[in-house]
Amino acid sequence: MTCDSVSELIPLYYYGELAPAEEDLLETHLAGCSACAAGLEKQRKVAAALDRRASEVSPLLLTDCRTDLMAAIAGGAPRSAGLQKGPWRLFAEAMASTFSGLGRLRQPLGATALVALGFMAAKITPGFLPGLSLPHNKNIATASLGSDDVFSTVRSVQPDRSGGVQIAFDETRRRVVDGQLSDAAIQRLLLTAAHEQDSAVRVESVDALKDRCDSSEVRDALLNVVAHDNNPGVRLKALEGLKPLAADPQVRKTLAQVLLTDDNARMRMQVADLLVAHRDDSLVGTLQTVMQREDNGYVRLKIEKALKDMNASTGTF
Amino acid sequence: MAQNASGAVGARLSPQVDSLIRAAQRGDQDAFEQLVRTYDQSVLRLAMNLLRSPEDARDVYQEAFLRVYRNLHTFRFDCSFHTWLYRIVTNICLDQLRRRKVRKEEPSVVETTDGPVDRMDAIEEDGADSDPERSMWNSELRNKIEVALEDLTPRERMVFELRHYQGLRLRNIGEMLGTSEEAAKNCLFRATQKMRSVLGDFV
Repeated sequence: MTCDSVSELIPLYYYGELAPAEEDLLETHLAGCSACAAGLEKQRKVAAALDRRASEVSPLLLTDCRTDLMAAIAGGAPRSAGLQKGPWRLFAEAMASTFSGLGRLRQPLGATALVALGFMAAKITPGFLPGLSLPHNKNIATASLGSDDVFSTVRSVQPDRSGGVQIAFDETRRRVVDGQLSDAAIQRLLLTAAHEQDSAVRVESVDALKDRCDSSEVRDALLNVVAHDNNPGVRLKALEGLKPLAADPQVRKTLAQVLLTDDNARMRMQVADLLVAHRDDSLVGTLQTVMQREDNGYVRLKIEKALKDMNASTGTF
Repeated sequence: MAQNASGAVGARLSPQVDSLIRAAQRGDQDAFEQLVRTYDQSVLRLAMNLLRSPEDARDVYQEAFLRVYRNLHTFRFDCSFHTWLYRIVTNICLDQLRRRKVRKEEPSVVETTDGPVDRMDAIEEDGADSDPERSMWNSELRNKIEVALEDLTPRERMVFELRHYQGLRLRNIGEMLGTSEEAAKNCLFRATQKMRSVLGDFV
């Protein structure tokens, strides 16, 4: 074996992917060649460094995933179904498939109910969101979709005297609108979406809004998300939009509060960066409180430096 | 190397898994849930390690197991369930990685005034290093690792992930990715070469 061929086999040897005969040949070569032995050592070191990067899955995330999945399988499609990524759409398809047994959950309505659904759907007027006049806006294309985009949840089923049955159900109809972010109606829809239950919808809408902070309504919505959304991914996204406004007193006030109360270390790290980028003596008290409570090394380091720059006590009494 | 027994779990539990699959195929919801719980931790770890974003990992989890739910009736036991499941999962992850390549997205590395920092690593290792010099070296190494991994093609990244972190054999990886063992070997070789060239002076 030559040194060239050995160097090509070292990664496979390290991962135990060589045939026994090749392995023997390689080991014989390594025993007598210090350069190739050093190559193997390098491979081990690189692999060891990479080992340190392995992520551990938080039990909380796993529990959330399991709950979401089982809810998707057992429940109905939610009001705020994601249009692009679509686990709910997949779910709807799953329900419609011929998968024996599991699809029966939403089937007992029968033909009568389907007729009723179609009839009711036809009666829905276009202005389904109060305050929005989407169909009249020339910049927005709207599309009403077929009957498979009407979701129903049966609330009660009661036999009547004539041998028939009375069914009460709620229904939600999905529509699609396209438009520019500069459009006020689109912005209003996105602002509504920023409060939806589905965090995937919230994160996408905040992402779309984040470059529109020149509107005070958008800015206030992002501040609200940063301070109150329960999903750190959504909060981080809103924070991105607020970055250019880090000098604004109202924004700083909210960010200071976030630094004190947010339980997510990434949020606090980024908020600390934004706050200390501008010298602000009015923040000394807050920053000192942070020093007393904070356990994240990066945040502490940032705040300590900022306090020192302002000649203030670092508060570690 | 980081190994886990996800592949072996499937093999060892084969009879139990087979009966769970058959029950789930008949519509037994509890069996389906048990089946999910047998594999979902390794699926979530794979997605987290590849995508470094809990949100994206959650999407992968949901989409993968809903596809399993939808298509379980087509599973014919002609390969292991683990392989079949990972075909689905790796496809979804590869799509995400490809989209990310197009968007040049770096979800976990944030620009701070002190340069790029991997937020996840900062969280994992809070307070781990009291020596600032060592801490700086570690943080630089972490950034180098991220750069090296970003440099891999989605396929190289996937093969490396499955071999190094999930401890699967290349033959099995080839089967999951719809390619030969030889092609998987080549991917692993290219991936390790790229990483050695970036990290070589640092370790």
